[in-house]
Amino acid sequence: MADNLESTFAELEAAVRQAALSTAEEIDAFRIRFLSKKQGRITELLKGIPQLAQERRREFGQRVNTLKRAVESRLETAQEALIQAERSAPVDIDLTLPGRRPTLGSLHPITQTEREIRRVFESFGFAVAEGPEIEDDWHNFGALNFPPDHPARDMQDTFWIEAPDEDGKGVLLRTHTSPVQIRVLQEQKPPVRVIAPGRVYRNEAISYKSFCLFHQVEGLYVDQGVSMADLKQILNSFAREIFGDDVIMRFRPSFFPFTEPSAEADIWWRDDSHPDGGRWMEILGSGMVDPEVLKAVDIDPEKYTGYAFGMGVERIAMLRYNISDIRVLYENDIRFLEQFN
Amino acid sequence: MRISCNWIADYVWTDWTPEEMGERLTMSGLEVETIDKMGSDLEGVIIGHVLDAHQHPDADRLKVCKVDLGDGDPVQIVCGAPNVAAGQRVAVATEGTVLHLPDRQDPDTRVPVTIKKSKIRGQESRGMICAEDELGLGEDHEGIMVLADDAPLGESFSTYLARGGVLTSDVSIDLAITPNRPDAICHLGVARDVGALAQMLVTRPEVTIPNDGGEAADTFSVRIDAPDGCHRYTGILVRGVTVGESPQWLKSRLESVGLRPLNNVVDITNYVMYECGQPLHGFDFDQVAGAQIIVRRSTAGETFTTLDGKERDLPTGTLLIADGERAVAVAGVMGGENSEVSEATTNVLVESAWFSPSDIRKAAKALQLQTDASYRFERGVDPTGQAWAAARAAELMRDLAGGTIVDGMVDCHPVQWEQPILALRHARITTILGIEVPRAECQRLLEAIGFGVTPDDAGWSVTVPPFRPDVEREIDLIEEVARLFGLEQIPVPSHGLIPNVRPAPPKPLPARLRLANRLVGMGYREIFTNSMMRVDLARRFASESLRGGESVGDVVATLNPISQEMAALRPSLLPGALQVAAHNLNHGQPGISTFEFGHVFDRSDAEGNVIPGYREHEHVLLLRVGSEGKATWNAAADEADIFDLKGAVADILSTLGVTEYKLEAEPSGSDLTRYHLNLRLGRRRLGTIGCVSPDLAAEYSIDAPVFFAELNFSRLVAATRQDGAVTFQPVSRFPVVERDLALLVSRSEPVGAMLETVSQYGGKLLLSHRVFDIYEGDRIDADKKSVAIGLAFGADRTLKDTEVDKAVQKIVGALGKQHAAELRS
Repeated sequence: MADNLESTFAELEAAVRQAALSTAEEIDAFRIRFLSKKQGRITELLKGIPQLAQERRREFGQRVNTLKRAVESRLETAQEALIQAERSAPVDIDLTLPGRRPTLGSLHPITQTEREIRRVFESFGFAVAEGPEIEDDWHNFGALNFPPDHPARDMQDTFWIEAPDEDGKGVLLRTHTSPVQIRVLQEQKPPVRVIAPGRVYRNEAISYKSFCLFHQVEGLYVDQGVSMADLKQILNSFAREIFGDDVIMRFRPSFFPFTEPSAEADIWWRDDSHPDGGRWMEILGSGMVDPEVLKAVDIDPEKYTGYAFGMGVERIAMLRYNISDIRVLYENDIRFLEQFN
Repeated sequence: MRISCNWIADYVWTDWTPEEMGERLTMSGLEVETIDKMGSDLEGVIIGHVLDAHQHPDADRLKVCKVDLGDGDPVQIVCGAPNVAAGQRVAVATEGTVLHLPDRQDPDTRVPVTIKKSKIRGQESRGMICAEDELGLGEDHEGIMVLADDAPLGESFSTYLARGGVLTSDVSIDLAITPNRPDAICHLGVARDVGALAQMLVTRPEVTIPNDGGEAADTFSVRIDAPDGCHRYTGILVRGVTVGESPQWLKSRLESVGLRPLNNVVDITNYVMYECGQPLHGFDFDQVAGAQIIVRRSTAGETFTTLDGKERDLPTGTLLIADGERAVAVAGVMGGENSEVSEATTNVLVESAWFSPSDIRKAAKALQLQTDASYRFERGVDPTGQAWAAARAAELMRDLAGGTIVDGMVDCHPVQWEQPILALRHARITTILGIEVPRAECQRLLEAIGFGVTPDDAGWSVTVPPFRPDVEREIDLIEEVARLFGLEQIPVPSHGLIPNVRPAPPKPLPARLRLANRLVGMGYREIFTNSMMRVDLARRFASESLRGGESVGDVVATLNPISQEMAALRPSLLPGALQVAAHNLNHGQPGISTFEFGHVFDRSDAEGNVIPGYREHEHVLLLRVGSEGKATWNAAADEADIFDLKGAVADILSTLGVTEYKLEAEPSGSDLTRYHLNLRLGRRRLGTIGCVSPDLAAEYSIDAPVFFAELNFSRLVAATRQDGAVTFQPVSRFPVVERDLALLVSRSEPVGAMLETVSQYGGKLLLSHRVFDIYEGDRIDADKKSVAIGLAFGADRTLKDTEVDKAVQKIVGALGKQHAAELRS
C-alpha cells in the first residue's frame, strides 16, 4: 500500500509538472482533471483518507495539499501566461479599414482671407469697425472729398437707391468701406487707428475679374506726426505677413479723392510663364488722409495727419489661392469650398 | 489715353527705351497699362528701279520685271500690280524680309509673311514690289507705291520715309490717367512730365498767334450769353481749304493713338487736341447762319441732331453753340450735323473754347455721350491755351489743306483766369512725407513741370500754371513733389508708434467669429451669395414667415441695376442658399449644409435706422438638405431633419448666452414653408426655423425636404448679455441622482409642453432633464405613446432618497394633471 501510494503520488506529481498548459482548453482540462469536485484526482485522494490508518492520515493529507498547491500554482502561472500571450497576440481587427471622419464644414476663402488680413492689422494695434451697406451720399462721397459732378465719381460706379441731388443728398450702396472711417471719426477723436472690413458694391459689368460686389478692408490712422513713411512701414509689414518675408513691394503715385498724396502698392508676382519672370500686381490703394476729409469731421489738419489704405479681400484671396475667376467665389460649389477646409 | 513715343519725341528728347519711359511714367503717377509696338521698321525693304517690265508668258495679270536694287546685280521679280512699269522707283521687299501683310479674310488683322525666292507660274521671283497696304502705310491696294524719281536707289525705305516725316514704326503707350491730371491728356503734357523726370528741355511748336480783331472780327462775331459756362471762346477763320485726305505722317500719328483718320480738316483738329489737350471744333463757315456764334443754354424741350446723325433731347440749360438761327453744336461734347465739315467745305471756322467742367459733365452724362472733347473739358482744359490751339490748327490747315488764314481772330473772353498763388511750407512737406526733401530739390521739381516758385522764410510762394486746375492747395503741391521725387525714395522707418487707445471691437464681430467656428464644427460650410436679386423674387422672400412672424417692409431696389436679375437687395438669405443648394445637388452632392452671415434690407420708417427709411440687419442662415456625406462601412448617411436645425439653433443661442427664448410652432407653415417655428425673445422676433415648402423647393428643382434657420443676428447679439464672458461655477463634489420616468400619454400630446412642465415643477434639485425615448407600437394602446424622460437631481450636499422621491412625485403629479400622463408600469 505504501509503495502503491508512493508511486501514485510520484506519478501525479510528474503529471502536474509535465502537463502542457499553453491553451485555454488544456488549462481547463488540467483544472478539471485535478480539481474537479466530482472526479478530480485531488478530490479522489482526499476521499481516500478515511480508509487510511489514523497515523498515516496526517502525512497523507500534507502530501495531497502539497500536490494541490502545485496544481494551483501551475494553473495560476499558465493562466497568467495565457493572458499575457493573448494581450500581445495580433488583434482580429482589419486595421486597414478607413477611419470614421467627423463631418466638418468650412469657412469660405473670403472669410479666411479677411480673418488673416484682420489678424495682421489687429496685431499692429488696429481696432475694427463696421458699418451699414446702405449709405448716404455724404458719408460715401461728400465727406471723402468727392465733389458732386466730379469725374472722380466715375472711378466708383455706384448703385443708387435715391438719386443724388444738387446738394449732394442721395442714398446708395456703399462703394467702399471708407464711410465707416467717417463714422468712426465722427464718434472718436484722434488718435484713431482702425480697420473697416465689409461688403461693397460697384455697378460694373460682371466678368472674370470684376463682380458687382466684393469685400474690402480699409485702414485709417490719424494722430499727430503720422507720415507717408509710416504708411509705407505698415503696408510693408502687412505684405510680409501675408505674402512672405521675401515679398517685393513698390509704391507708385496715384489718385484718390480722399487721400493726398495717394499711392498704389504693387507686389512682384513671380510667374515663370511671363517673359520678365513675373509681373507687378496691384494689391492696394493708400495715401495720406486729405485735409478736406479731416475738416469734414472737425479735426484740425494742421495738428493731426493720417494715412489710409484699402484693399480688396477677393483680390488678395485670388492671389493667395491662385484663383483666376472671381465668380467662383460666389458660386459656392462644394468641390470648390472643400478645398479650403 | 494712348500716347505715341514718336510724337513725344517731337517735344522732348531722351535716350529711354519705351519700356524705360513706361516705368518712369508709372512711378511718377501716370500708370502704364500696356505698351504696344506698332508698324514695322521695314527692315529689308529698299528702293529699287524697275528696268524692264514685260508680260508673264503664262499669266495675263502678271508682269515679269527686272529690278535694279543698287548693287549692280538686277533681280527678276514677278509683280501683279497693273501700274508697274519700266522706269519707276519702287519699294522692294528683298528676300528674307518679313512683312506684316493684311489678312485676305479680315483686312484689319495682319499676319507676318517672309518674302522668299519662289517660282510664280514657272517664272523665278526674288522679292516683292510693295503696295501701300503691304507696307502698313495705308489701305491702298490698287497698285504698287510709285516713289519720286529722285528716290535714292538702294536706300533703306524707312530712312527715305523718315526724311519725309513719316515713321513706319512706333510704340504706343496706353496710360491710365487719373482724374486729377487733366494736363496729361495730351502729348505736350506727358512730354512735360518726361522732361521733368529726364531733366530735359521740352519744346512746343512755334505758332504765330493772331491779334484779337482784324478782318476776322469784321467777318464773324461771337457772343457769349452764358459766361459762367463759357469763360472764353476763340475763333479763327480759314478760307479756301481743300478737304481731302491727310498726309501720311498725320494719318500715322492719329492711328498711333487709336484714331481713324477722316479728312485733313477734322484730322488737324484731332491732332492739335492730342498735341496740347485743347478740344477744337471745325464748323463749315458757310453753314453758320448770320456769320454769328452764340454760346447759350438750351431752352425747355429743345432737341438737336449731333453729327452722328442722332436727334437728342437736351436737358434744359445745356450749354449750346448756336448761329444766328439755330443750334450748331452741343458745347464741348459734339458738333451738329447741320454745320459739320464735309467734302464740299471750303471755309472753316475753328472753335477753341473753355467750357466749365461741371456743365460739360452734366451734358455728357445726360446725353450718355462721352467724347474726346467732353472727357477733356470735364477734367478742365488750360484756360489760357485757346488762342494757341486755334492758331496751331489754322496754320496746319494753311499748310496741309491749302487754306488762307483770315487776318486776326475773335477772342471773346468774358471771364479772365486768375493765377492761383499758394504758400508751400518746407516743414509741411517733411511732416507729410516723413522725409526731408532738400529745398533746392523741391524747387527744381516744381519748376520743371511749370510752377513758378519764389522762396520765402517758411518755404515758397508758388504760382500754379494754367494747365493744372487740380492744384488748389498746399497739399496738392506736396503731392507733386512726392510723385516726382519718387515714393520709393521715402525710407521705411525701423520703428513705429502704436497709440495706447484701442476701442472694443463692434459687438457682432467676436460673436460672429465664435458662431462661425462652431458651425464649421457642426458640419456647416460657409457660403457667400449675391446680395442682389430680381424685385419680384425679393418681394416673395420679404415674408414674416422668415422673420419669426415680424412683418417686413417693401424691398429696397436700386435705380440703376446692372440687369433686372439684380435690381433689388435681398430681404432674406434664404433664396441665395437655396440657389447654392440647387447648384450642388445638381452637381451630384448627396446633400449640403451651409451657413451664411449677411446683411438683409427692407424699407422701414422705424426709428433707429442708420439711414432713415432703410432697415438693415445682419442675418445668419443655416440650411440643410439631403444627407451629410454618403454612407460608409460603419456609418449610415445621416438624412437631415428639422431637429438638426433646432439643435443647431439651441447651440447658437446658448453660445451667445440667450436663454429665455420661446419657439412657437406653426405646423401649417406659410407660402414659403411647409411648417416652421417662430423664435422669440420676449417681444423681439429673432427668426424662423423651418422646412421649405415643397412647391418652393421644386422651383429650385430640389425634391428633398430643405430645412433652414434664419436668425436676426443683429438682434441676437443685442440680446447677448456678456459677450463670451464666462463666470466659473465650482463643480459639485456631491453625487448626482438619476431617475428615469416612462410615461404613457396621448399620441397628440406635444412633448415640448411636457418638458416645460417638468422644468417648472422640478424644483431646485432638478439639474437637468432629457427625452431619451419615444415609443409607439404594439405593446401599448394604439392611441398612446410612451415618453421616456431622464431626470438628474443634485445639490451642494448628498441627497436623501426621500427628498428625490418627493421631487419625482411632484413632477409626475403635474404631468398627470396637465398632460394626462400615466407612469408606465
